[in-house]
Amino acid sequence: MDTANEACLGLIVVFTELNGTLILQAVLQEDFMLDDILSVRKSAFAPGTHTELRGQLNRSRRVTLLSGSVVGNARSDISGVSARVYKNGTYGFSSMADYSLEAAEKVLHAASENADFMNIHAGAGKGPLPVLPRKTYRVQNGINDPAQKDYIDFAKALDAYAADHCPELISRVVVATEDSMEKLLLTSDGMDAHTILPRSYCYVFLTAQTPDGQPVELFKAFGGEGTFDLNFTDPSVWYPQIDNLYEHLMKKREGVYADAGLKTVILGGMMTGMLSHEAVGHTVEADLVLGGSVAGHCLNKQVASEKITLTDFANTAFGERCPLPVYVDDEGTKAQNVTLIKDGILVGYMNSRESAQHFGMEPRGNARAWLFSDEPLIRMRNTSVHPGKDKLEDMIASIDDGYYLIDSGNGQADTTGEFMFGVTMGYEIKNGKLGKALLDTTISGVAFEMLKTVDMVGDTVVWSSSGFCGKKQPMPVGMGGPALRCKVMIGGR
Amino acid sequence: MDNLENLAEYIIVEAKAQGAEYVHCVVRESEKREFNVDGGRFSLMRTLFNRDVAITVMKDGRKGSVHVNHFDEGEVYDAIAECIAASESAEPDPAWQFCDEPTEQTYVQGTPVCDTEKLFFRTKELLENIRERHPKILIEQMITSHDVYRSVYLNSNCVMYHPTTGSYSFSLMYSGHEGEKSTSFFGSDVTLANLDKPVIECALIDRELSEIEKQLDPEPLEGKFTGTVLLAPAALSEIVLGTIFGNFVSDSNLIEGTSIWKDKLGEMVADDRLTISQKATDEDVVIGSRVTGEGYPAENFDLIRNGRLVSFDLSQYGANKTGQKRAGCSTGNIFIPAGDQSLEEIIKGIERGVLVMRFSGGEPAPSGEYSGVAKNAFLIENGKIRCALTETMISGCVPDMLNSVRAISSDLLKDGSVSLPYIAFDGVTISGK
Repeated sequence: MDTANEACLGLIVVFTELNGTLILQAVLQEDFMLDDILSVRKSAFAPGTHTELRGQLNRSRRVTLLSGSVVGNARSDISGVSARVYKNGTYGFSSMADYSLEAAEKVLHAASENADFMNIHAGAGKGPLPVLPRKTYRVQNGINDPAQKDYIDFAKALDAYAADHCPELISRVVVATEDSMEKLLLTSDGMDAHTILPRSYCYVFLTAQTPDGQPVELFKAFGGEGTFDLNFTDPSVWYPQIDNLYEHLMKKREGVYADAGLKTVILGGMMTGMLSHEAVGHTVEADLVLGGSVAGHCLNKQVASEKITLTDFANTAFGERCPLPVYVDDEGTKAQNVTLIKDGILVGYMNSRESAQHFGMEPRGNARAWLFSDEPLIRMRNTSVHPGKDKLEDMIASIDDGYYLIDSGNGQADTTGEFMFGVTMGYEIKNGKLGKALLDTTISGVAFEMLKTVDMVGDTVVWSSSGFCGKKQPMPVGMGGPALRCKVMIGGR
Repeated sequence: MDNLENLAEYIIVEAKAQGAEYVHCVVRESEKREFNVDGGRFSLMRTLFNRDVAITVMKDGRKGSVHVNHFDEGEVYDAIAECIAASESAEPDPAWQFCDEPTEQTYVQGTPVCDTEKLFFRTKELLENIRERHPKILIEQMITSHDVYRSVYLNSNCVMYHPTTGSYSFSLMYSGHEGEKSTSFFGSDVTLANLDKPVIECALIDRELSEIEKQLDPEPLEGKFTGTVLLAPAALSEIVLGTIFGNFVSDSNLIEGTSIWKDKLGEMVADDRLTISQKATDEDVVIGSRVTGEGYPAENFDLIRNGRLVSFDLSQYGANKTGQKRAGCSTGNIFIPAGDQSLEEIIKGIERGVLVMRFSGGEPAPSGEYSGVAKNAFLIENGKIRCALTETMISGCVPDMLNSVRAISSDLLKDGSVSLPYIAFDGVTISGK
């Protein structure tokens, strides 16, 4: 990861601010995926109407090995252009799978027509959006595109290591993948931008059997921001991670069912990240607040222990680069951190430009789109609870009868704040010491009640970034946090 | 190159010229017209013009795939070259096999031409109907759309399908609200061939809205008991069908050997009243694929017939890998025949249990064991719905549940894609605080 991050730092972002009217300069490198052909269309934006024109390419590479066989071997390049026009409280949007000036003209026209249709039939009678200062933001270099063979060879090396060193497995799955998005955004006000967000991962799934023949599984994702060639140079770097995963799996196959009920637990940092994102983050997305989420009634009220501060970070957290940094969103808003909970008090929502106007807040760059054909939605970036001062070993030692819950396979939350996370890796805590491993279970609770039970906060933040957040569209996000001691409902058998 | 057939033929010829021994491609253009409602008010109208080219080649027994979204000949040429290169990097695998019986089918499904004004009218009408009939419901988001697809599937064995499909879809996410009280959210979806009747009368939308409105005063369940769980179609899909298709009968778990049903073909795995089928070509499916990913004609089939496992859900590749038979289709159009009791009659017969409309759970274990939160749930006591529930977990084992079926409802959810009843299962662990 260190190597990857350092390499990424070399190619990521140079931030440029220009005053006055902006024409994007076509400073192109050979390895940009998108040429800037759109800037000349900016003069055709309708005056007095908020307009966005976006060219985008999403690149995906994926290789899947199932017990050594290549069962998936696919590459995908999806690009096109879209336009969005705001008129009196509603938007018109159009896109075409064609990255050309002609397509740009067509989608601008169609988006305007759609905005007019909505204004006539369902206009909300709102005025224009508050104007943002015009600026520009541009990455300096493009990204590499490794050959498919590189993905296959790396996946095979990891798979061969697992086959040789993990004798009790009944199956192995190794996935090598990259998904990268490059965007060229022009806005009638706010920021014009040329951005690239690459990320790549290897997923390793290991399956063994319990003594009575039931399959048990664990998986781990390795990697992060950056293209595959930068993150994965030497397979042996990752072998200790496979050893560690196998060690946990061997304990899990001898594992026990959790005792169902309300328990005192230590949530590991990965679990805290899931909690930050799913159970709290979604409820404070302003579109879901308008849709009736519980957070609509909680602004400036205590929703958590005073030990809890939670932020949606844009690009830098705790003095370091975020897992998936965002510098400008797809409405042209400069990305800045959003403090959601401060010392236990709910203090903010994540907004689009329109919802920020509604709530009288400042937009801070949360409106993001997945494909060229998607409109920006309010999304999280890198959401994390701030670290405290407690040591993990002290937190474990403080529990007589409870659980240490380390990793989660999935999580879901309700707009009421009621959440459920699958727990794939965890251990009993008995008399202050770790006991037997747990078989798969779930935890649940209501976020703003459960967070009030937090009485210890670990001093180390753990991040993850390999998944997609699902809303109307998928979106890569980072989530993290320290270990928390709290009370939560755990499912048993 | 805007003619779909010409582009598909070009891909086959060019890929063969570049050394492929087998090629198939899907060339598709589509249009979407969509209205969005957020927080109960119209927010967005979208018009999308998309194109897709998916190419799969086999070279020296090695498989590669690419997906691009342009019809430009130069870009497609590059995609073919990339696909060939990808295949050359893979390992040869003799299990790959594709349809080699020449056929050509051209057909139309649904309504390919969008009536945009009527789509807007039905959307607005649905909003108004919900406000009138269900005043405590707040629409978090509603997405209504018309999608038309013109596609060509062609492989190098002269298998060609040329479908044109069009359908309307309505997807609602909503919750109940009264003062500061709110319910869990719930989603209702339906796919329609036409807009002939008000959408609130379609699928189970009106009933589901009513049920959510009744959940504003949920009570926590005290303690833990083993009882009956009555699963509504959405929860049935998430818990039971998701486990069966995800863990027991599909390519990955049968090839891996992790399926606990790998040796159960022909054996009883469920109550003899239960039949589970996939029906891509059923008349209740608005848009059902007529061709599998490997070029074979899609055929309806029973997975479980009267409790007996009679097929796996395998592709031809999976079938060759495992020595089993290929399934007729794998489109997710799941059908379970109706039972003989109404939902009300089933509830009357339950002494203590819960009605679960939605389930929020972890990934089911390969063994079929699961646990999670019973969402939008009601407590049933002595044959009556007593109250809505909050913070209630259920846990069990799907293979055990399949042999503990208490009743199957005569009421069916038909949403244009699936046909599913409510099913009551005994012996499930239900726990509260």
